[in-house]
Amino acid sequence: MATFPALEVLGYCREVPTGPVETTLKSSLTHLPTCLAHMNWRNVRLIYGREIRDQLRDRRTLFMIAVLPLLLYPLLGMSVFQLSQFLRKSEPRVLVIGSEQLAASKELPRLFEAGSFAPELFDDPVDAARLRVEFVNGANQEQSVSTAEQRLKSGDAQVVLRFPPDFGQRLKELRDQVESRGNDPQNIRGLAHFAQSSEQNVPVPLDADSSGIHTNTEPADASEQEQAVQPVTIPEPQLYYNSGKEKSAVAHVQVAHVLDAWKSQIIRENLAASRVPMNVAKPFDVAPHDVAEKKQHQALLWSKILPFVLFIWALTGAFYPAVDLCAGEKERGTLETLLSSPALRTEIVWGKLLTVMTFSAATALLNLFSLGFTARYIVAQLKMLPASDITHGLDLPPLASAMWLIVALAPMSALFSALCLACAAFARSTKEGQYYLMPLLLVIMPLMMLPMAPGSELNLGNSLIPVTGVVLLLMALVQGNYADVLRYAVPVVGVTLICCHWAIRWAVFQFNQESVLFRESERFDLRGWIARLVRDRKDTPSLAEAFFCVALIYVTQFFTQLAISANTPANPDFRFFALLIFISQVVCIAMPALLMAMFFTERPLKTLLLDRAPSPAACGVAVLLALLLHPVGLQIVHWIRVLYPIQNDVLTDLEAFGDLLKKAPYPWLPYVLMAAMPALCEELAFRGFVLSGLRHLGSKRWAIGLSAVFFGIAHGVIQQSLAAAAVGMVLGYVAVQTGSLVPCILFHLTYNGLMFATLKLSEIARDWPTWAVPFHQPAPGVIVYNWPVVVVCALGSLILLRWLHRLPYQATREEQISEARARQPHHALTASVPGNAE
Amino acid sequence: MIEARALTKAYSDLVRGDVLALCGVSFSASPGQVYGLLGPNGAGKTTALRILSTVLQPTSGTAIVGGFDCVTQPELVRHQIGFISANTAVYDRMTAWEMVEYFGRLYGLEDDELRERMEQLFERLQMQEIRDLLGAKMSTGMKQKVSIARAIVHDPPVLIFDEATTGLDVLVARALLDAVAELREQGKCILFSTHIMREAERLCDRVAIMHRGYILAEGTLDELRDRHEERDLEELFFQLIRRQQMEADLISN
Repeated sequence: MATFPALEVLGYCREVPTGPVETTLKSSLTHLPTCLAHMNWRNVRLIYGREIRDQLRDRRTLFMIAVLPLLLYPLLGMSVFQLSQFLRKSEPRVLVIGSEQLAASKELPRLFEAGSFAPELFDDPVDAARLRVEFVNGANQEQSVSTAEQRLKSGDAQVVLRFPPDFGQRLKELRDQVESRGNDPQNIRGLAHFAQSSEQNVPVPLDADSSGIHTNTEPADASEQEQAVQPVTIPEPQLYYNSGKEKSAVAHVQVAHVLDAWKSQIIRENLAASRVPMNVAKPFDVAPHDVAEKKQHQALLWSKILPFVLFIWALTGAFYPAVDLCAGEKERGTLETLLSSPALRTEIVWGKLLTVMTFSAATALLNLFSLGFTARYIVAQLKMLPASDITHGLDLPPLASAMWLIVALAPMSALFSALCLACAAFARSTKEGQYYLMPLLLVIMPLMMLPMAPGSELNLGNSLIPVTGVVLLLMALVQGNYADVLRYAVPVVGVTLICCHWAIRWAVFQFNQESVLFRESERFDLRGWIARLVRDRKDTPSLAEAFFCVALIYVTQFFTQLAISANTPANPDFRFFALLIFISQVVCIAMPALLMAMFFTERPLKTLLLDRAPSPAACGVAVLLALLLHPVGLQIVHWIRVLYPIQNDVLTDLEAFGDLLKKAPYPWLPYVLMAAMPALCEELAFRGFVLSGLRHLGSKRWAIGLSAVFFGIAHGVIQQSLAAAAVGMVLGYVAVQTGSLVPCILFHLTYNGLMFATLKLSEIARDWPTWAVPFHQPAPGVIVYNWPVVVVCALGSLILLRWLHRLPYQATREEQISEARARQPHHALTASVPGNAE
Repeated sequence: MIEARALTKAYSDLVRGDVLALCGVSFSASPGQVYGLLGPNGAGKTTALRILSTVLQPTSGTAIVGGFDCVTQPELVRHQIGFISANTAVYDRMTAWEMVEYFGRLYGLEDDELRERMEQLFERLQMQEIRDLLGAKMSTGMKQKVSIARAIVHDPPVLIFDEATTGLDVLVARALLDAVAELREQGKCILFSTHIMREAERLCDRVAIMHRGYILAEGTLDELRDRHEERDLEELFFQLIRRQQMEADLISN
């Protein structure tokens, strides 16, 4: 096994100029040279100019970006036109069994006329000809039905309508019955009385001889009533269709609609025969009044469609140039040429990023214009389709909304471009690059779809979600809700800019990874790979192992949750609850980390930050920090709950947990379950294994941030995740600065213990005088300390963090290099090289 | 001018585990000298040169070029060097003139100075006829000419040629070697890696013979011949490699 002595590594590190601790820390804050001041914008412009020219000389790119959108929408319009033609042309076949009995009874309204359904039964009489009717008349109905079913399954017929043998006869009997009742004065009185009471204002059109209606207040004779109401049972006509075939399902709806219309006709005639006014069956109609102006209605529709179309194209338009500019250059071998030029990696990334952004925005805009141009045509076609609510009143979007779309396009293009660039930089070939489009879409699409869901609106919580916030803001702009826009513009823009910033830094980071730039294909062999993981293990886990550990934790959590929810007893007792916590902490979180540390690292204790004794001062500070951060944490929890209210069912679950905790056999047991166990297990996993692996990133800030995010996600409920991620930041910082897991465990123990204790605090403090209670309860089960307490504690914790900041932390090799680089005076670059313009 | 001290580079390989591409390689070259790295494929030449051109980072050891550290001051180092390798290709959708102009600007040359220098270069390297030819349509020899023009357009004190004659026909390869000799006359410090003994004999002032990440022998050609009592460089090369192979076998047994 080829290893290089650790001494050599240290020897190398000794040669890296190291300043005093303070400067080391300061420079670590400017880790990757993304600082724009260091960049030579002339180089960025040069690279940008070259890349744009290069892309414009590529016929494929030009086709994708410029020609395709111009062709796409007209083609789409054509196909809509064709489709509508097709829909009109398709004539489903309806088999009718037993129709002869209907023809026999002259009293019934007509269902068929000249070999098809009667035109008056359709909204548009022309549609009658579109249902081809085939009458199957024979003595043996059962046999006809079975052959008809065969034809239905084979798709030869779309609907089979069967009237049972005595259907017509029974209908006729019913008619006779109502007619006889209509001619009986007794019944008229009774029925008329009923009609009078339900619809008083409408005069009842009865014969002249029924003048007694107003005077007759005597109840009808009970025996007579009984005799009259004796019902005629009519066998149900059967409607067979095949929901597995689209055409059949559509035809079924049409035929059902026709039968409904026919039924209404029968009802109407029966009522007329029994001399009962129509109002009996249909006492009133509802008249809808939509107060929205036509313009507003359109705005709502367009506000849902346009941002989606625009951003999807911004993403697609960013992706292909990004793959060509990174993976493509790797493939063609020109990337190394560029990397050996004096351009900084940051300058290269910015040059490429601006190029990708240009193409992203251009694609989106061209699509928008082409869509607008074609929309006129499509809208006209849509209006010719069978009427539906969506197409009703559809018109072109107002011009102002197009302007807002263009304004919002810039930040979204930047975000998508940076994401695509980072993914593309990772790919070693264009083929591999194409694979990354799908995962990227899977992440971004739900964020874009979320605002389309009915009921989602612009509020503070939604405005903080990346992409979703922008789409919602755009919707509000298109709809003209400027008050909402003004209120939430700042958070949306802020979140978007932060996302852009991180995405760009990620892209720059990828370009700084030589393993990413010079990845070569190798044969994959699972056994060899696993053997290698164990054989070539390093002191601490690799980046990939850290990510894998996180994934393993999540997957274990997911399946355990499935198993638990399937096995939850109806009335869970405390033992079940304790078992639940034990499994979710020890099995799901601690075990993966411990096992991976044992098998995949050379020094598990170093990995888990347990190899050296922590200083007592650090432990003390950690406990104190937890105490001081407790009120701050509660405040944050409260803010999060205001922003993203917990759903009621989740709240009930949480309360049920709280109740279970009270049933603990010993008062200390809940503290073990809720504080000690998580403190140990979660720290071992997230601050131990995961953070150790992530520190190979070369930036402790990234390592801490990512581990905190992973820690947060492990908490399941989004509100808890956000709060946990915030605490995770502090914990990660404590771990890095003290170099030991013990202070983290103590911090976690204290923090969780206090959180749990506050549940009881409200009960204890019930009898205290008001001025002595340092907190209030904005909602049941929620405790918030008074703001002076929060402010003082926040200031106190800042002092403690400052103390931690001064500790000499142990940088990894990657961190030492990036810090040494960051210390390089970049202005010397221009001064030292003769002939340099700037 | 170039100083490599105990350069080590470890790659992780799926099948073989951690592979040492370089094991504590040290050498130094001064201005007006062509320093040859001689070795078969996979000897670690490209890795060493990539470290010197700051494209790769050493696992341990230091590399100083023109007084700047390759790990901590990569941008300054890149200003000092011109790097030509089999892996540094020419852009397909750019003409020769555009390509050289682009890199000249990236090196920070002013427009007037750049144009003057480019006219000279295109004349000297006989590139006038491919001036407006797109990279995709060039022959290998033409591309190599463009690469050289690209690498020396900013008149760097250090030049690194990594297997630069690979795939060139005899005529073009000869022209390239002449160009390298001419650059030496101008006082450039040149690092030249090759696996062709004839080239090394023709051109190099000092050579380091590399195999499997180690330098087996180092010195001027005459020193090496005297030390190993072998006049033929190719024979010398085989001897050294055979001896290392035997030692390695002894150790493993």
